[in-house]
Amino acid sequence: MKNYVIKYTYIIKMAWIHALEYKANLYVGLFAIFSGLLIEYLIWKQIFIVQDVEYIRGFSFRGLMAFIFLSMIVGQLKSSWVTSIEMIDEIRTGELNKYLIRPISFFSYNLMMFIGMNSIYYLGYSVLLCFFPFFFPGLILVSILNIIGFILALIVSIYLSYSIYFIMVCFTFWLHEVRALVIAFNISNLILSGQIIPLKMFPASIVSIIHFTPLPFLVDFPVGIATNQYSIDVWAEKFLFAICWCLLMTIIGKIIYRLGIKQYGAYGA
Amino acid sequence: MGPMVLKKVKIWKAFFSNSLTRDMEYKSNLIGSIFVDIIYYGIHYLFFSIIYSYVDALGVFTKEDVIIFLIITFLSDSVYMFLFSSNLHGLNGLIVRGDLDFMLLKPINAQFLISLRYVRSYAILSIIILIFLLIKLTNDFYGGILFFNWILFIISFISGITIWYTLDFSISCMTFWFRQFSMGGWLSNELLKFSRRPDSIYGGIIRKVLFTAVPMILISSIPARMLIYSPNLKIFFIQIFITILFFILTPILWRNGLIKYESASS
Repeated sequence: MKNYVIKYTYIIKMAWIHALEYKANLYVGLFAIFSGLLIEYLIWKQIFIVQDVEYIRGFSFRGLMAFIFLSMIVGQLKSSWVTSIEMIDEIRTGELNKYLIRPISFFSYNLMMFIGMNSIYYLGYSVLLCFFPFFFPGLILVSILNIIGFILALIVSIYLSYSIYFIMVCFTFWLHEVRALVIAFNISNLILSGQIIPLKMFPASIVSIIHFTPLPFLVDFPVGIATNQYSIDVWAEKFLFAICWCLLMTIIGKIIYRLGIKQYGAYGA
Repeated sequence: MGPMVLKKVKIWKAFFSNSLTRDMEYKSNLIGSIFVDIIYYGIHYLFFSIIYSYVDALGVFTKEDVIIFLIITFLSDSVYMFLFSSNLHGLNGLIVRGDLDFMLLKPINAQFLISLRYVRSYAILSIIILIFLLIKLTNDFYGGILFFNWILFIISFISGITIWYTLDFSISCMTFWFRQFSMGGWLSNELLKFSRRPDSIYGGIIRKVLFTAVPMILISSIPARMLIYSPNLKIFFIQIFITILFFILTPILWRNGLIKYESASS
C-alpha cells in the first residue's frame, strides 16, 4: 500500500511540475469562467427584468449567479476529456504496452496525471474561492461544514467523471476511434450536468430522466452543497448514491478494460 | 489579380481532392462527426428551450428568431470546420517543431497554404442539411424571405466567416511571440461563445467591444438579422468595413510573426 501511494504521488508531482510550465492555461481557464459567467449574467438579468420577479425556482438573481459561477469552476475541474483523448491515442498507437510491461495501472496512472496536470487550476480556483464569501455573502460556503462537504463532493465528482470517461476510452479496443464519443459526452455534459443552467431550472420531464444517471453528481451535487441547496439531512443519502455510482463505473470500467485488453493487438507499436 | 485568384482556386481544388481521399479512408470519422454535430445542435437547442421557457423574447429575438439564429450559427460553424479548422489549430505544432520551414519553402503564399491546406470534407453533409433546414424554417416561420434579404445575408455570412478566420488566425499566430501557445484553440473557442448567443443580450460597452475590437456579434447575429429583419444597411456596411480591416491585418501579423520565427531551433 505504501509503495502504491509513493508511486502514484510521484506521478502527481511529475505532472504538477509539468503543469507549472504552462501557467497560461490557468489564465485561459479563468477567462473561460468569467466570459461564460458574463454571458449567463446578461441572459438571466434580462429574464429577471422581463418577468419582474425576485425568485425563479427558488433562486434569487445573486444566488443564481453564485450557483452558475461555482458550477463553471467545478465543471472545468472535473472535465478529463483531454486526458481521455490522450489515453485513446495511447491505445491506438500501441503506447499502452508501457503499462503492460510495468507494474503500473493504466487507469491509476492517467488519473494521477490528470490530477497533477489540473493542480494549477485547483490552486488558482482555490484562491478565487477564498473571495467567494465576500462576493456572495451568505450564498456560498457559509459554514465549515459546507466547505468540507463541497471538497468531498468535488473529489467524488472528479473521480466519477474520470471513471465515466475511462469506460468510453476502453471502447477504443474494439472501435479504434472513439474520440467523437468523448467529445459528444463532453458537450452534452455542459448542459445536462447543470454546468451552465442549474438542474432545478430544467423542465421536470428532463430532470426526472437525468436523476436516473450519474450526471447530477458531477456538478449539481457539489455546487448544491456549497450553496446550501441541500439540507444536511440529505447529504448522507446523496453521498451514498454518488459513491455507488463511482463503484459501479469503476467496476464496469475494469470489466470492459479486461475484455478489451484481450482484443488489444498493439498494432500501432 | 484574376489569374492569381484562379490559380489559388485550382490549388484549393487539389487540396480538397486530396483531403477527400484521406477522409474516405477513415469513414468512422464521418459517422463520428455526424454524431458530435447532432449532440452539439441538440444541446444548444435544449439550452435555448430552457431559456425561452422563462421568457418570450431576448430583446428582439423571439423563439422562432433564435431557432433561425442557431441554424445560422451551426452553419457558420460547419463552413468554418470545412475550410479552416483542420489547419489553424495545427500552426502551434508546426512552429514549435520547426516544421513550418517546409511550408515556407513551397512556391506558394504561405498564409494561404497554412490556412487552407486541409479540408474537412465530411462537414459538407452538415452544410447541406443546415441549408435545407434554413430555407424550410424561414418559409415556415416568416412565409418566405425577400430576395434582397437573402443577398445581404449571404454577403454578411461570408463576412462573418472571414472575421472568424481572421481572429482565429491572429490567435494562432501568437505562437510566434509566446513560443508555445497550445491553448490558442481553447481561447479561440471561448471567444466564440460570445457569437453563439443573440446580440440582443449585449448592451453598453460590451456591445461596442463585440462590434469592433472583438467583433463576435458580426459572425452569426448580424447575418441572422440581415435575413429575418428589415435590412439595416448601416450595420451591414460596418460589418463589411470591419471584415476588410481585419483581413488586411492578417498578412501584416503573419509577416511580423515570421520575423520572430526561429525555425527548428525554436
